[in-house]
Amino acid sequence: MSTKTLMRFTGVGGQGVLLAGEIFAAAKIKTGGHGLKTATYTSQVRGGPTVVDIQLDDEEIYYPYANDGEIGFMLSVANVSYNSFKDGVQKGGTIVVDPNLVHPTDEDRKMWNIHEIPIITIAKEEVGNVITQSVVALAIANTMMNAIDKETLVATMLSKVPAKVHAANIKAYDLGEKYAREAMAK
Amino acid sequence: MSDLREVVSSGNHLAALAGADAGCKFMGGYPITPSSEVIEQMSDLLPARGGVTIQMEDEIAAVAAAIGAGMAGHRTMTATSGPGISLKAENLGLAQMTEVPLVVVNVMRGGPSTGLPTRVSQGDVRQAKNPSHGDYRSITLCAGNLAECYTETVRAFNLADRFMQPVFVLLDETIGHMHGKAIIPTEEAVQAGIVPRKQFDGAPEDYHPYECEPDQPAVLNKMFTGYRYHFTGLHHDKNGFPTEEIETCRKLIQRLEDKVMLHTDELESNEEFMLDDMTGAEGEVLIIAYGSVSLSAKEAIRHLRAAGIKAGLFRPITLWPSPADSIKKYTDMIKNVLCVELNIRQYTEEVERVSSRLDIEGLYKVNGRPISPYEIVNKVKEVF
Repeated sequence: MSTKTLMRFTGVGGQGVLLAGEIFAAAKIKTGGHGLKTATYTSQVRGGPTVVDIQLDDEEIYYPYANDGEIGFMLSVANVSYNSFKDGVQKGGTIVVDPNLVHPTDEDRKMWNIHEIPIITIAKEEVGNVITQSVVALAIANTMMNAIDKETLVATMLSKVPAKVHAANIKAYDLGEKYAREAMAK
Repeated sequence: MSDLREVVSSGNHLAALAGADAGCKFMGGYPITPSSEVIEQMSDLLPARGGVTIQMEDEIAAVAAAIGAGMAGHRTMTATSGPGISLKAENLGLAQMTEVPLVVVNVMRGGPSTGLPTRVSQGDVRQAKNPSHGDYRSITLCAGNLAECYTETVRAFNLADRFMQPVFVLLDETIGHMHGKAIIPTEEAVQAGIVPRKQFDGAPEDYHPYECEPDQPAVLNKMFTGYRYHFTGLHHDKNGFPTEEIETCRKLIQRLEDKVMLHTDELESNEEFMLDDMTGAEGEVLIIAYGSVSLSAKEAIRHLRAAGIKAGLFRPITLWPSPADSIKKYTDMIKNVLCVELNIRQYTEEVERVSSRLDIEGLYKVNGRPISPYEIVNKVKEVF
């Protein structure tokens, strides 16, 4: 069981959090392990609160959600879903939020190790394509959790996005990794 | 060559792929979360294989179109969630009465009415048993993992043609939206297992589609092949025309019952997880669960066994007709029985009925959130 990685991505529909989970699961399966992404979202596809639980394990996974209190890492790009789903994160766990969109309370900051990275702004202004925010998020999660070999993850990611945006997504990954390292060094 | 393949996909997409591989040629649908990915995927798959997917104006039209394709002789399906089944109910009764094969995928969300869009639920289990009025027997299969979203949908198509009636495949929001690895049969293996629906090949004047053995379904020849008959929701005679002749009416409805209930051996399918070492000794725990809840139950059983509590899972895959003899066997043997459901007692009542026991414990949840393994562990420790 010690090999298990539990991550939760939350946002609102349309932000691409589902895709990031799919990439993690597929990459883990590619390495011969077990990966499962389970998403739940509302009928309001654009704008509804969305949560994706990602489990990566060397053993077979039965229960498809992360158990509350066991999640080591959460990333959130929407305040509504941050508030609904933050309680699953274990005490002392890592939470990355976009500070322009998510506003943790002082109690939250005591409970969890919260990093603020302006994910949407990075995608929009530094990569030049807001859609790449899910790949920025993917890179941040993988850098902080050291979940999957980078080469495998990037190759899986590229297999799921159109060829014409490969360069932008590689850039997005590299930027996500850079910001994650900077945040961790603080 | 192996008959199996590994895919990485979601439950909803696997249900769609199963339909396409099983020879479905028509899908009439109307999107509703959490089932929408089924029709979305079918709109890619079917045209590429010479079939048709139509998004109709609503759920009623969607099932009506699918039944029409079934009447014409094609394998056909629709997919929806509970509110959609409520709308389709009248036409599902028509398909039961006219004996038109059809696969209905229901990805369950919270109800009643528009309910809780679109969090997980198993609230449509009772509805699946009798969506429409009148006497008939529902055939309802329930996928409990990703691979079964594929294999049970394939099985549904084969059973629909064998029994000539709608067959439900129940997914729930969790299973439908799960995404991971599944080991499933190859398309070739699926196609090799298809038994097409029976056809009458004698002279057209000798053809009477509803004149059949008392425990067998109608033999509906494909349309436009020279055999003429009539479809009606009214009680009907051997050629499908309305009648009030009392013996004909009685035989017809009795046959709808018997064609299923005298052949439950062809329908039953269960999983027995960690039951093989059960002896009926004191302290053993039998958990009964189905669909996504069974995944939570399996993990709970791991924890319970690690804590020295001998627990096992009985999981019906065919929910209706229920696996009465198997449930009776285990509930006779094991005293501590816990049903776990994302509804309030919908299947527990069936377990009580077939076991003749009123001391079955239950763990139920209806707030749109899944039941976690720890909740099951705690419940077992609390009640037994």
